[in-house]
Amino acid sequence: MKFLKNFFESNRKQFSEGGRFEKLHPFFDAVETFFFIPGIVTKTEPHVRDSLDLKRFMSMVIVALIPPLFFGIYNTGYQSNLASGLPLTFMAVSLKGLQIVLPIIIVSYAVGLAWETLFASIRKHNISEGFLVTGLLFPLTLPPTIPLWQVALGISFGVIFGKEIFGGTGRNFLNPALTGRAFLFFAYPVKMTGDTVWTVVSGVNSQVVDTFSGATPLAVSAIQGSADFLESLLLKAGFTFPKLFYGLYPGTIGGTSALMCLLGAILLILTGIASYRIILGGIMGVLFAAFPGYIIGLIYGESSVPMLTLNPFYHLVMGGAAFGITYMATDPVSAPGMNISKWIYGFAIGALTVLIRIFNPAFPEGIMLAILFMNLFSPLLDHFEIQFRLKKRVPNV
Amino acid sequence: MTSIRIRKGYDINIAGTPSCDVEKLEKPTRVALLPERIPFIKPRLKVKVDDQVNVGSPIFEDKQNPDFIFLSPGGGRITKIDYGPRRIIKEIIIALDQDEGHEIFPMINEAQLEDIEREALVQMLTAGGLWPLFRELPFRNIPNPQSFPPSIIISLGSKEPFQPVPEVYLKDKVDLFEFGIKILNKLTRTLFISASPDNNFVPDRLNTHVTHTCEGVYPADDPGVLLYTIKKHPDENRAWYINGQDVILLAMLFKTGKYPVDRTVVLGGILAREKKHLQTRMGVPLNHITKGHADDTGAARHIVGGIFNGYTGSKDSYMGFYETSLVLIPEGDEKEFFGFARPGFNKPSRSRAFLSVFNPSAMPMECNQHGENRACVNCGFCAEVCPVDILPQFTYKSILADEIEEALDHGLLDCVECGLCTYVCPSKVKLSVVLKNTKKAYYLEQL
Repeated sequence: MKFLKNFFESNRKQFSEGGRFEKLHPFFDAVETFFFIPGIVTKTEPHVRDSLDLKRFMSMVIVALIPPLFFGIYNTGYQSNLASGLPLTFMAVSLKGLQIVLPIIIVSYAVGLAWETLFASIRKHNISEGFLVTGLLFPLTLPPTIPLWQVALGISFGVIFGKEIFGGTGRNFLNPALTGRAFLFFAYPVKMTGDTVWTVVSGVNSQVVDTFSGATPLAVSAIQGSADFLESLLLKAGFTFPKLFYGLYPGTIGGTSALMCLLGAILLILTGIASYRIILGGIMGVLFAAFPGYIIGLIYGESSVPMLTLNPFYHLVMGGAAFGITYMATDPVSAPGMNISKWIYGFAIGALTVLIRIFNPAFPEGIMLAILFMNLFSPLLDHFEIQFRLKKRVPNV
Repeated sequence: MTSIRIRKGYDINIAGTPSCDVEKLEKPTRVALLPERIPFIKPRLKVKVDDQVNVGSPIFEDKQNPDFIFLSPGGGRITKIDYGPRRIIKEIIIALDQDEGHEIFPMINEAQLEDIEREALVQMLTAGGLWPLFRELPFRNIPNPQSFPPSIIISLGSKEPFQPVPEVYLKDKVDLFEFGIKILNKLTRTLFISASPDNNFVPDRLNTHVTHTCEGVYPADDPGVLLYTIKKHPDENRAWYINGQDVILLAMLFKTGKYPVDRTVVLGGILAREKKHLQTRMGVPLNHITKGHADDTGAARHIVGGIFNGYTGSKDSYMGFYETSLVLIPEGDEKEFFGFARPGFNKPSRSRAFLSVFNPSAMPMECNQHGENRACVNCGFCAEVCPVDILPQFTYKSILADEIEEALDHGLLDCVECGLCTYVCPSKVKLSVVLKNTKKAYYLEQL
């Protein structure tokens, strides 16, 4: 600790004004404040301040991301070894998962941080902690087979066009991680969708073992024209409800396990970092939008769109809905700030997710588009609620 | 008696709050007047260095409104007039004589008060130097003596952790307080007196006078919060208010015929050894208060006027005309290793992001900002604590965009300057300072 303190003190002048690395000061500051809360004191009233700062605020999100991250590493390795016919012991699987996931996360953080430093240095402000979350959220939404250069491209697009050109953290109206993902999704659909991208196959001949199907539950559901009930269809493919809930199936790195997202959501709600209104609204939206179709299925027995008749709870545990509602929709910057607006926003995200899944089979996953779409509406929702609220005030001018 | 409940606000759990014990301080050698700390005043001096003054001699008046006269808090010789940047008058220091002379003011008893005209009463209060004790909402300026207030609010709460509590300053002075209420009743048709139900002393002794009991956390006792909660019409916005302790001063001026300089002040903060109420007088030096009550004042920040609204005074400075609180807390300019990752059992926070949620004991706080300044991320914590339902994050953004009309629609002028929005902000945005400065600029534009 003493050593670190001396290290920062002795190198400070290089990074301050007139120093050799003056331009890199935001980077120096980011590293230093990672180790030490700076000794800044209040200059104006109020003289004391709350202990919570943005670093702690964002670290809580990182802590909440640990369950999906660890499970994602395990699941990625598990699916890979399963497909490649390799041993499925805990160690082997975890190591394999790390081998696949770690490079993706490192590239995401490194490239994103480079852009953040560049913008911070030009704008002469410090690097905001919001990036710590973006840099981890983004890789968790990707398929494990993603080439690393696409990770770099995606996070660059997300950071630059999702955030920095609007002025940086706090001024962006889209979720940067999802902006990056949407860019990859539309620019390189072959690498982002289909049956083959969700599992890394390795081994002697790089051949998939015969019994393995790489299809995700959403892909299974999107098959048209089957007369069967979707649930039995999913069951045939091996996707029972508990399996979907626990998340041990092919999918994005971090988004498969609804259980892990639930743990994260509980932590975020208990600590008050994420809005419970958005999360509960999102869950209600999913259930509400999926319910009429389910009833139709129960009455008429069949439908040409199998997804329509799916049990609403399946929508919550399949694909990225749980992950998106817990971590993406609750980003305070791109979500509305008013309470009723948050309910509407969350509800609309959930409902739109289901509607996209049902009526647009070209996009098997709807949560990404639903969140980005509602991001655009959050200022409008806020505006109307504020106007409504101001009408009740006794004017004072 | 109406009881109202203020839902929003926040009580900080800070260590070092004062006890209700009272100690009478001996006479100081010097006292001072601090024109700089009186809002919206442009002082015109009526004395010069080496002049001999009595208690109650005029020291300066306001250039814009010469009715606002500020009188000497002590009898003796003016030793120094301290100027700051741009010739702003910071301090007028008076070395006290052994036997101080007093200016004589007309005395009035209850019977005479019944018959006196309102104008004559106002005239006596302005000449007696006590008119500046009245403040006008929403700008908290000194009201024009010619105007007539929609109401006058007296707040007998003590939600701010470092302000004198009514049971101390009202002790043995309930009669004077009641006389003060009679004076105020001559000045206005509507007098609101609010008290906190947590503390039985005031409602018991003054139950015929108290009009509202305000339940809630800080700043439920602020007159602005009471007004916001009960007002029905825009006409009520320009209410006046006066501090509970100052009502006694009004009565003392008329009862004794002398300019009253007694004050009950509070000394608190973790660096004060004895945290209690002190009976002293107006404008005493800060080191006169701390002497014998605090050990190491060198390291302490001297906060005059409370941690939420006060200013940082130097050790050699003086108490102001309005301030009744001195808080000594450490600067706290040390760096903290891995501070953001610690469990934080001892880190006071309104959020639930630290283990301190499970720690109910009062925690020591320092002047550390606990983090760097960042952009607003719209977390909405400020709106959750604002007692007058402003949306500080949106109001502040409209101010930064120069949309003053929009900020006013948002209720900018209802802001009671409690400072809670700044306190809770995780991005360390000084919302309350921006709001306060905008209000001030708006007031100055209107003059």
